[in-house]
Amino acid sequence: MGEAETLKPDSGKPAAVAPKSVPPALEARGWVLGALGWAIPGLGHLLQKKYDRAAVFFVCVVSLGLLGLAMGAKLYAPPFDRSQGFFVLLLHVLGFVGDLGTGALFVGARMMGLGQFYMDRALGDYGTVFFLCAGMLNLLTALDAYDIAVGKKG
Amino acid sequence: MLLLASVLELTHFQAMTLFSFFTSLVFAFLTKQSGRERAKYFLWAFSLFMLVGLGLGWLMYPFPR
Repeated sequence: MGEAETLKPDSGKPAAVAPKSVPPALEARGWVLGALGWAIPGLGHLLQKKYDRAAVFFVCVVSLGLLGLAMGAKLYAPPFDRSQGFFVLLLHVLGFVGDLGTGALFVGARMMGLGQFYMDRALGDYGTVFFLCAGMLNLLTALDAYDIAVGKKG
Repeated sequence: MLLLASVLELTHFQAMTLFSFFTSLVFAFLTKQSGRERAKYFLWAFSLFMLVGLGLGWLMYPFPR
């Protein structure tokens, strides 16, 4: 089904609209811009001339990540500890996925040796959450860049 | 960064405020298009973050660890 098509159901309900398919070239462009937005927060929007969003996403995600590191965030990364059971292992893997969402920030922090240890204070826990949320927000912004690129969003 | 970690001492309230500010701002720009809509959504989300955080804090107040 190449174009959006109005379906006429027999039940008298409002007509449903089938989703438009995205041309492969546009889809590929969306993936590339999404990946760039993941690697460097806001870059996917910057390349699409969405300057206000790019600036806000970059400042917010990087600020949250750096504040988290400054508070003493623990960054989750392999090898994972299997000695505490499946549930803890699952939490660590999910934490790794969340941290990885910050893209270059996570890679840079790991290369600098940051986030290796738990800090024995509440602020360290907050830092871990700050960094995780920076990653989750950055994944959302990368998806937003993809949506804009394929025309699902303005 | 480790030096900054030893210098940076935020209260729980300051940490919550910073978190609420940045998160609400991203949500506002993700979900709304016009400046006015974004401002309204930002204020709404930020207020809710703060109110719910303070409310949960007071709920947990009788149960110190």
